[in-house]
Amino acid sequence: MSNPFREDLVSRLPAEPCSIIIFGATGDLTHRKLIPALYNLAVDGELPTGVKIIGFARRKKSDLEFREGLEILNRKVSRSGHLEKIWTNFIESVTYHTSEFTDPAGFKSLAEKLDVIDAERGGKGNRLFYIASAPEFFDEILIQLKTANLNEAKPGCWARVIVEKPFGTDLASAKHLNQVVRETFHEKDTYRIDHYLGKETAQNLMVLRFANSIFEPLWNSKYISHIQITCAENLGMEGGRGGYYETAGALRDMVQNHLLQLLSLVAMEPPTDLSADGVRDEKVKVIRSLRQWDTPEKVSANVVRAQYIAGHIDGNPVPGYREEDRVSPESKTEAYVAVRLLIDTWRWSGVPFYIRMGKRLPKKSTEISVHFKDAPCVLFNALAGGVPGGNVLVIRIQPDEGISLRMVSKIPGTSLRLELVKMDFHYATSFGKGSPEAYERLLLDAIAGDATLFARRDEVEEAWRFIDHIEHAWHQSDEPPPMAEFVAGSWGPREADQLLHQDGNQWRRL
Amino acid sequence: MHHTLETIPAVCPELGIEVAVAAIDLELRKLWEQDEARTNASLMNLVVFSEKSGALIENSSIIRELTREHACRAILVEIDHLAPPNLRAWITAHCHLAEGRKSICCEQISFYLTGRVTGRFRNTVFAHLNSDLPLVFWWQGELSDILTERLVSVMDRLIIDSSAWADPAAAFTRIEEASQANPELIIQDHAWTRSLQFRVGIANLFDDAAARKALPNIHNIEISHHPAHRNTALQMLAWLTIQAGWKNTDPSDPLVFTHSSGNSVKAVLHADPQSAPLSAVILRSHDATVQVTYQNGASYLQRQIESGPYKATSLSPSDPGTPAELVALQLARGGRNSLYQKILPRFRALLHCHTE
Repeated sequence: MSNPFREDLVSRLPAEPCSIIIFGATGDLTHRKLIPALYNLAVDGELPTGVKIIGFARRKKSDLEFREGLEILNRKVSRSGHLEKIWTNFIESVTYHTSEFTDPAGFKSLAEKLDVIDAERGGKGNRLFYIASAPEFFDEILIQLKTANLNEAKPGCWARVIVEKPFGTDLASAKHLNQVVRETFHEKDTYRIDHYLGKETAQNLMVLRFANSIFEPLWNSKYISHIQITCAENLGMEGGRGGYYETAGALRDMVQNHLLQLLSLVAMEPPTDLSADGVRDEKVKVIRSLRQWDTPEKVSANVVRAQYIAGHIDGNPVPGYREEDRVSPESKTEAYVAVRLLIDTWRWSGVPFYIRMGKRLPKKSTEISVHFKDAPCVLFNALAGGVPGGNVLVIRIQPDEGISLRMVSKIPGTSLRLELVKMDFHYATSFGKGSPEAYERLLLDAIAGDATLFARRDEVEEAWRFIDHIEHAWHQSDEPPPMAEFVAGSWGPREADQLLHQDGNQWRRL
Repeated sequence: MHHTLETIPAVCPELGIEVAVAAIDLELRKLWEQDEARTNASLMNLVVFSEKSGALIENSSIIRELTREHACRAILVEIDHLAPPNLRAWITAHCHLAEGRKSICCEQISFYLTGRVTGRFRNTVFAHLNSDLPLVFWWQGELSDILTERLVSVMDRLIIDSSAWADPAAAFTRIEEASQANPELIIQDHAWTRSLQFRVGIANLFDDAAARKALPNIHNIEISHHPAHRNTALQMLAWLTIQAGWKNTDPSDPLVFTHSSGNSVKAVLHADPQSAPLSAVILRSHDATVQVTYQNGASYLQRQIESGPYKATSLSPSDPGTPAELVALQLARGGRNSLYQKILPRFRALLHCHTE
């Protein structure tokens, strides 16, 4: 029976009460993101009444110790502050379960604990398993869930799993993990999280494209010269991050998931509806249509990798990548990558997409810029200075979320001179209310059973297929493409500039 | 102290500087030219209309708060029918730091109209709207003859508070007539918004399978409210019964409803002068109780479901109380407010019933 009181009141699927079991509960993600996100949902009255949260981890802790640790972090990072009464009510629903991820007895006792909770609810209970542990335990946790029969939902209930990134480290490992997941949970109950998709501007991309009639007619190779996606970070390997980064690199850490997801939202065809599969069907077609850079020569011509050398950020000296903490002095890991992509579809034929991601760039910024072709300037060619440039639509993902449109305008005066001007929409200016954190939206979606903002199996695998060719050329070919260098605090290596120059384009100055 | 035409100074801290009506646009431009560090932001025209003495100053304070989250061009209007004909205007800008760096500012134009105003009022408002931006018209207090079809025809949203009306039935009829030429008009009623979190709470509780199981057996609804907010209680009742598909089949008792199964539901409304606008909404079946309650002055509502041994409780935000909070919430939710339109006929029918 559906809930008649939901109708017309809230425009999303109902979020039913459930038990949320977080694997890796003592980790940073749980403390900094997941619990504050659930708490903020409670503050907003969005968390279903009766939700129970069980932290599952190896370290021995009492419920009280676990709750105290969560409270310390929540006070520091919670978006809506720390409201004592709400927290007290919320934290009562949080308990801790000590077990190794490989210990069947620990999962058996978890099942018993969940049965007790379900018994209070009349024998029924929904379950959401969140695998936020280190990736090497993903397999084992899924296998143990199956062994304890926790993957099977009781009649009239559901059992879902959220899997954190990285979802594999290459195509083979992603396929293997998908196989393990598929043997444990139905695809419709599997939620591969990519927090970029929970960001307000990423969600607004579809609205911008498909709710405004002025953009979609121009959204093709006839009018668009090229598209750039930039993810710049000014941080390096602070806080011991070098250890993880050495095993991942910019391409696998950011491009395979976040940036290819943004690419697919920018380039996809209009979905037939807003259902999870309606949207994901169109997104995966984009990834599947990427021209493959499947030889070292193609990788050399279309991909640039680089490491930063010592330079300055915010006026302070910073070390080079190979001098960073927990980074090998002979590291072959890229801290910067720029990729030229081609999408072999009718809509995008001949339109290059450029993606760049780098550490120790001058500032933190993620954006998509759509560069339109120049207007036929027969009228204004003769002017001194000509026409200063083309139209650019910029979608800023973070920080300062918003959208701007650059256009050419006449400079006031008696003579005819042209200049570029910018129309600028800032979320923070127009909508004073802050957006919920990406994890809040995504957790609520998973509770409500809406997988639209989660990656599907085929999306993940197709993305790895594209990335694997590049990784293979870098690390396994006889003549690997070179590793370029750039000074920390600059906008990347010269080779990345040349990548665009060959098409007559240049990186947008952020 | 309430200001009057004579007592509002030419330079008033709340309203800004007095300007000639014909020079408003020019003076606004000058205001922006003084300082390049400020950004003029506007998503809508917000007209705030009142016939209450002293409303301009009060409403300017409300707009100052409101513009923190809702960028708009605010046009405040206070009318005094009894004073000799006159029109005075002030301009100012409300500025707030966004993300601790940029100063985001919203324009405010205030008008003080006296004497016979109908034609002048329309012209005054129409002449100062920002083109292309929607018009949100916040009507404070009782409706009057100024609410004409021609005025309503240019509105996108009309914000009212039906709790403030002596005769809500007649006032809704007046709105219905005035909006004939504007079927797209979105009406937002403070009385309805005051119950939003109660409704969200009920919906949240019925997401629970235990509550849904009890729904066909609900036999009693109890709503506690403040006597001045009977409309909010009746709208809540209208919403519950419409959404659940319960129909009133007994003309002699409008507070008795019937399930599709034939079971009957009795509604009881308690008026309590110590209550908040709403203080309790309780639905009971023979073995389950679903309730959202609020203790006056608390920051949170309490949601609770009890079904046999199963009991779950949570806290959620309380409903807004001040006019600024109510309008802020209405603007934030946007949409067509179709649920309100849906319950309106039953609510209007319930207006005639005797409750307590």
